[in-house]
Amino acid sequence: MNRGNRILLSCIYWAFVLYVFVPLMLMVVMGFKDSKFIGFPIRSWTLEWYTGVFADTEVLSAFGYSTSIAVLSTIISIVVGTWIAILLEGRKFVGRNTIYALTILPALIPGIISAIAFRIYARWLGIEPGMGAIVWSHAVHNVPFVVLVVMARLSTLPKTQLEAARDLGADPFITFLRITLPYLVPAILGASIFCLLLSFDDFVRSFFLGGYEPTLPVLIFAKLKSGMSPEINAIATVALLLTGAIGIWAERFTRRLNKD
Amino acid sequence: MSDDLAQRTHTGQKRKEKTDLTFWGRLSNWGPYHLMMGAVTASPRRQFVVLAIFPLVWVLFQNLGPMLQMLRVSLTDAYPVAPGVEQHFTLENYTRFFGDQIFWQPFFRTLVFSAVFTFCTLIITYPVAYFLARHVSRRNQMLFLLLLLIPFWVGEIVRTYAIMILLGNTGAVNQLLKWLGFIDRPIPFMYTSFSMGVGIVYLTALYMLLPLYSALEKLPKSFNEAAADLGASAWTRFRRVTLPLTLEGISSGCTLVFLISTGFYATPVLLGGPSTTVFAETIAGFFHVAGDEWPTGAAFATIMFAAALILTGTFQKFMNALRKGDTK
Repeated sequence: MNRGNRILLSCIYWAFVLYVFVPLMLMVVMGFKDSKFIGFPIRSWTLEWYTGVFADTEVLSAFGYSTSIAVLSTIISIVVGTWIAILLEGRKFVGRNTIYALTILPALIPGIISAIAFRIYARWLGIEPGMGAIVWSHAVHNVPFVVLVVMARLSTLPKTQLEAARDLGADPFITFLRITLPYLVPAILGASIFCLLLSFDDFVRSFFLGGYEPTLPVLIFAKLKSGMSPEINAIATVALLLTGAIGIWAERFTRRLNKD
Repeated sequence: MSDDLAQRTHTGQKRKEKTDLTFWGRLSNWGPYHLMMGAVTASPRRQFVVLAIFPLVWVLFQNLGPMLQMLRVSLTDAYPVAPGVEQHFTLENYTRFFGDQIFWQPFFRTLVFSAVFTFCTLIITYPVAYFLARHVSRRNQMLFLLLLLIPFWVGEIVRTYAIMILLGNTGAVNQLLKWLGFIDRPIPFMYTSFSMGVGIVYLTALYMLLPLYSALEKLPKSFNEAAADLGASAWTRFRRVTLPLTLEGISSGCTLVFLISTGFYATPVLLGGPSTTVFAETIAGFFHVAGDEWPTGAAFATIMFAAALILTGTFQKFMNALRKGDTK
């Protein structure tokens, strides 16, 4: 490859890195502005907005609400997703491709359509808008991601281990618990973190299926619609740091597990 | 390892008087469990049925169910049904769409915008993916990729807000341009299709980058070297070797980004203006008001989904044909 090309491409890469990072950094910085008015230049600084976040009961309860929704929906997604992955991986049967396509479907439906469909279905099932409905919709939406991750890991499981377990007299359930499940741990952990973040960050489903209590993204959206303020920057920054930290930690953790 | 083993044999000896079996052994000998497992695993066929029944029910009722129910509601004249009112079959919800410009205009706008934004995402991320896969040593590749992944862990709303701060009249871009002396008055970026595009590309770039990266990474370097040895210029090598062999990545990346772009609701609300109303906002409008507008909303969502599926399906067919034609 010639050198000019390489330099040009590396410039594009770093420009892209800037594009991806700069807006978020500006947002973090703006949270320190000592004025109600969003905009540059920043003349005086304050920590008030950030300390305010931890005293704001509305934000804290939205935060707790989002977290519980994320945890509950992730548990459901993981159990269902692992089950489906075990059915689909390495088996040939009539209708397998249909089941596979249907499994992936929720991941491909555009956000607003999926939210509307869930809202109508929840009404039909008699689920009231609120926490139950949000948990349910997040769980259904996140299952395909679990299936894909777990199937990828499952395809590398040496079949001989399963055969050995069977020869030693283990029934299928115990084989699953003692051979398959431990082998899947890295995939399950990775998928859990992914589901937690997807659920925590989700806006459109929480917005259409929520009751009066807002999740964190819904709360930020409501505040934004009534005007920008450094207070929102501080809230968004706390959410950003949290999700970013979990993301990075998970990435490193699953990498280490995969190496072992 | 040996410590662990020693400890295990030690506890094993302690327990020996009671039983020779581990927890798992005792479990499989436990009456109720033994009976149940015996019933479940009586034949491979029955074992398969037990394994398959739950996933089958799940995908039918949770994945297909909502879509079918939406389709059904879109063909009725009232939903949710109030007591004393009879529900009738009707196509009126669909004809309503074609009857009014304020309905079909946002629809076509959404399709055009999504296609344009998808193309922009492709143009922006292809060089980035190319650089990552080709010019970064294998050891650093994950690190460079991870650097780009971090901001994508952050939610849709937070990132949309970040774009609002970037592009506002007193935003960073305008202040920078002013400071550099290019402009006197701020350029009104916000509430236009431009700000919406920047936001949507910002949100979807990753879904394009990853398929492109994996396609480029799979492509052996020797192909390019061979083409170079045969005298092909850099541009020819890209056009005749790299591009045709990464069509699959381009195809799946574009499909994904297009589908995601059509589904954004909060981003167009916050970054767009009255002249950029997208179909998601139109659909959402039917669910904010009294319940009897739900069937229309359902019909519009069905139209949107059908259009998105037909377009991406056609696009993939076209890309497949292109790929087959090229490898011949």
